[in-house]
Amino acid sequence: MEITKDKAITQLDNFANVNQLLVAESPKAINVCDFTGRFHGRTVVDNINLEISDGSITAIVGPSGCGKSTFLRSINRMNDRISGWSRQGSIELYGEQVYANDVELLSLRRRVGMVFQRPNPFPMSIEENIACGVRAHRLAPRSHMKDIVRARLEEVGLWKAVSGRLKESPFQLSGGQQQLLCLARALAVQPEVLLLDEPTSSLDPISTQAVEELLKEFVPELTIVIVTHNLAQAKRIADNVAFFMNGSLVEFGSCEQIFDSPKEPETAKYVSGIFG
Amino acid sequence: MSTHTSSTQGLPFSPLRGSPLSASPKGQLNSSKYPYRVFLGLARWWRAVVEQSPQYLSAVLGAIPFLALVAIVIILFHEAFPAIKVNGGGFVTHSKWSVGSEYANPIRRDGVATPVGATYGAWPLILGTLEASALALIIAVPVSLLSALIVVEKLSARASRWVGVFLEILVGIPSVIYGLWGALTLGPFLAHHLAPIANHIPNVPILRFFRGPTYNGEGLLTAGVVLGIMIIPIIASTARDLIRQVPASLKDGGRAIGMTDFEVSRKVIWPWIKSGIVGATFLGLGRALGETMAVLMTCGAVLGTTAHSIFSNMNTIAATIVSQLDSAQTDGTGFAVRSLAELGCILIVITLICNIGAKLLLSRATHDTTTT
Repeated sequence: MEITKDKAITQLDNFANVNQLLVAESPKAINVCDFTGRFHGRTVVDNINLEISDGSITAIVGPSGCGKSTFLRSINRMNDRISGWSRQGSIELYGEQVYANDVELLSLRRRVGMVFQRPNPFPMSIEENIACGVRAHRLAPRSHMKDIVRARLEEVGLWKAVSGRLKESPFQLSGGQQQLLCLARALAVQPEVLLLDEPTSSLDPISTQAVEELLKEFVPELTIVIVTHNLAQAKRIADNVAFFMNGSLVEFGSCEQIFDSPKEPETAKYVSGIFG
Repeated sequence: MSTHTSSTQGLPFSPLRGSPLSASPKGQLNSSKYPYRVFLGLARWWRAVVEQSPQYLSAVLGAIPFLALVAIVIILFHEAFPAIKVNGGGFVTHSKWSVGSEYANPIRRDGVATPVGATYGAWPLILGTLEASALALIIAVPVSLLSALIVVEKLSARASRWVGVFLEILVGIPSVIYGLWGALTLGPFLAHHLAPIANHIPNVPILRFFRGPTYNGEGLLTAGVVLGIMIIPIIASTARDLIRQVPASLKDGGRAIGMTDFEVSRKVIWPWIKSGIVGATFLGLGRALGETMAVLMTCGAVLGTTAHSIFSNMNTIAATIVSQLDSAQTDGTGFAVRSLAELGCILIVITLICNIGAKLLLSRATHDTTTT
């Protein structure tokens, strides 16, 4: 097929325009390309290709042991320290290679925050829990610390409950409050992306609702990726849903599409509760 | 409850019957694959004894350690009582240590026969014990803590297992071997190489304590270093277990907000383990206070004077009891032996305080871990 010069240029222009349009509309926060992760040679995450757009909530769902958490932990390189871990492919964070040699792990993890399945406040005062990350990254002078602590606690709706006991141990708090504290702690270092690994699985329904509503308030300033076992939760909060099975990404699409008209039979079975 | 069931099921303590609660099938136990059936029979008999014995028997057995401790303390105090009466409060404050005259007729003081001129002051020994132990802790605690951190956080599982094996071997080395090494190798080394450097320290109060004549290399520093090395395995293995108990999710949490390994150690691991580490330190202190042979061989065993510098000869309570027992037994009135027993009382009180402190702190540390 022959293409004239003019035609080619027009096509290129169109391409560029379309791209610009796409970029302007929804720049990619995370771009996963042929990503494979193994523990001791056993493939846990298999050839994932996924684009997560900026300022969205993406839920990763799937049966237990399907590699959701491992994939999530690959994004901020939390698997690096685990023995036997190896990976191929790439993950980009706003166009930067996460696995490049010159990436500073510390600043990567500042930009990509994480909240875990079980609340894990540090064994120090409530106030200190939030301040320590800020201090570690020298994000603010000491004199601002009180305001930052207050702002973060207000942001997660914890300020009223704990304002009188900032110096006390966080282990006195309820599980839900502890998780909110962990959320505040993650937010305190001003991340661009927040990864949540089943953040509400150990919480009661009311705390769960509190966390979900918060997450919805954080977008679009923040890009959120949440691993969840709870399909109803994914339905309630997610813009996009990725369905994982046996380490592979089976289907990725908008929340409505995945739940109402799934393309893959496995997805259909899973979301209708036939297995998982 | 087991007493009741056993009466309906045959002879209690019978070696032929398994316990009524026995879980394993009989055929498996008698399998010819297992050549040591005699031991199995014994084990089964023992299990029968344990499970069918009446409750009070286990209560009695369980009380043995407690009764032994009480008995030791009572007997020791009883033995020391005349000396406590005669020596009075001065025993812990003054320094002169003299058995008195063996040839003059004994005199009676407070109704107790004592040799003429017998005077006992344990102050240098108490101070020496505390000094040597403190020095040992100063050396052992940082080393143990760092090595435990490295073993848990940095080494592979295999390497840390090997380090664990060596730690256990270190605990098992007889203290006389440590003493020999201290007296023959470490002491002369410190005297020849460290002391000349230390003598550049200005001769002013406080700093003066870190310089001075070295004699034969035996002294406070040598004893302290040897003691320190001896208690490293104790503190390090406890610290290692404590660090292992720090939940992985907590360390992950620290790394996930971008803390360095050092920050994770300082801000996440340390607050979690610190009360346990204090307990481990007390455990090591208990060992250091009571350690006898290695100290006796490296301290210079001088009586009647406190150490003027870290290089001077000194003595501890435990080392004195050993080195003085022989001559004390030549005291016809028995007063010297009673004074040594009084020395033993002081040591046991110090040690008990340390051990109880350690237990309390360690149990609190475990309590913290379980509630959260």
